[in-house]
Amino acid sequence: MKKYVNAEASMHEMKLLQMGAKVEQINSKMCYVRFAIDGIKVEYVYNLNSKNKYFLERIKPYKLPVKEFETESDIVKVIEVDIKQFIKASKSKNIHTFIDIANELNVILKRFEDLYLYYNVPQNEASKILERIKTLHNDISEVQDTSERVFFEKDPENL
Amino acid sequence: MDHVVYAVIIFTLTYIAIVSEKLNRMVISLLGAVLMVIFAVLTQEQAFHSIDFNTVGLLLGMMIIVIILKKTGVFQYIAIKAAKAAKGEPWRIIVLLSIITAIASALLDNVTTMLLIAPVTLVITDTLKVNPIPFLFIEVFAANIGGTATLIGDPPNIMIGGATGFGFLDFLFNLSPVVIVIFIVTMQLLKLIYKKSMRTTEQLKEKVMSLDESKAIQDKVLLIKSLIVLLITITGFVFHQILLLESATVALFGAALLLLISKIEPEEVFMEVEWTTIFFFMGLFVLVGALEEVGIINGLASKVMDLTKGNMLMMTLLMLWISAIISSFLDNIPFVATMIPLIKSMEYLSGLNVTPLWWALSLGACLGGNGTIIGASANVIANGMLEKHGYKMGFLSYMKTAFPLMLVSIVISTIYLLIFYI
Repeated sequence: MKKYVNAEASMHEMKLLQMGAKVEQINSKMCYVRFAIDGIKVEYVYNLNSKNKYFLERIKPYKLPVKEFETESDIVKVIEVDIKQFIKASKSKNIHTFIDIANELNVILKRFEDLYLYYNVPQNEASKILERIKTLHNDISEVQDTSERVFFEKDPENL
Repeated sequence: MDHVVYAVIIFTLTYIAIVSEKLNRMVISLLGAVLMVIFAVLTQEQAFHSIDFNTVGLLLGMMIIVIILKKTGVFQYIAIKAAKAAKGEPWRIIVLLSIITAIASALLDNVTTMLLIAPVTLVITDTLKVNPIPFLFIEVFAANIGGTATLIGDPPNIMIGGATGFGFLDFLFNLSPVVIVIFIVTMQLLKLIYKKSMRTTEQLKEKVMSLDESKAIQDKVLLIKSLIVLLITITGFVFHQILLLESATVALFGAALLLLISKIEPEEVFMEVEWTTIFFFMGLFVLVGALEEVGIINGLASKVMDLTKGNMLMMTLLMLWISAIISSFLDNIPFVATMIPLIKSMEYLSGLNVTPLWWALSLGACLGGNGTIIGASANVIANGMLEKHGYKMGFLSYMKTAFPLMLVSIVISTIYLLIFYI
């Protein structure tokens, strides 16, 4: 099996080099992590390697953008906090709405990328979308101000 | 007596399990070897003593050199150069790639050669939008034929070299002439079969011409270091008998030197070593060593001598053709591992010069692998890669073309052995 993986990697490398890329192949361990919290699947994928670059991605219940870490132990810490947050969130009646919203935001991001890459969007239309996003940001801030904080182990990074 | 019965039962069951290919061959060979010690057919010391560490060292040394060499991108560079020299013309590309494959296979083992050349070939066939099956089919033939020419080209030769003391030049002088003839004849026959089916457009040829071979070389310093060490190692193989060094010493020196000067993390390199192959060989050596120890090999050798009445012509032809047919369908490594002590025993019992038998074994076992899709590891690898890309060679469709071509190569070998050795 390793032979076929190496051969496939060689093909990818050749094609990417011809496209002008610099390609570095690193032996690593790919780790899949699965939890089930009150019927909600929470899954992560990350890899460990000797180059001190670690990438973590949450793949379920909705995708978390790729994150890069400097040490292996950070990965487990992030997962630990994440799981604690999900355990708390799973008690909420809104958990499924929350997951739906997160998934919808991911779909919006993909649709916007297609729009941008496949069409020549007029400036005023792009500005309209930006305005809507600003409104959404404001809505999130307003909801934050009027909602009770329930998780204190760590401060939010993006609010 | 019990020891003989145990040895026969363990060896037979192990052999059946290996050739059935239902279980991992390394695990079976290792288990069989350990059972020989548990049932007291051999002591642990005898078991370790029966392992040919010259073969193991040579395999390991060459694997390490190739693992580092392939990181340089030199094989991609050569393949792109060849495709451009052929001006993107499919048949010309396959001829050049086959020559490269045959030469590389003479210096590296066949499986490694296929693992290096097949990915590049698939990128080229993908660019030309041509069916990759003829390309990989011809390369498999080239790899198996080219590997026959030298001591280090194919595991059976490494094993024969380890057992007989034949050196790099012995193999080169005795086998490369017939290998060159077989390669030329096979390529001519393959041209008749495949040339017309290889068509592409001028636009796609231009795409191949636009590939930039210089992009393939990612680390020029490592390339220079690797090529220097490869050159030293090959020179070492050429002169190892004069220098009174075993081939494993030469290969391991090259490997250690390259590990030292390449500054690549040794763990990264050792992670890619094919340990399963190394342990498969070690297990086999113990299994065959057990048969030798209880006298079965001697018994078989005297039976063969009785049957053939010591007629070298008959023995050589039998060895060549039986090796070829068996190697077409079964793993040639356990077969060669069993034949080696048998030939040695025949030499001991009869006092005959058995040199023709060694070359017959080498030609039969190496070339026979071309006969079917499962005949050699290189074929299995090429087929596996094609299947991963949505193409299927199929056992019968491969055999329909390959088996007659393999027989042609054995007929040429027969003529060669008759003219020059008997």
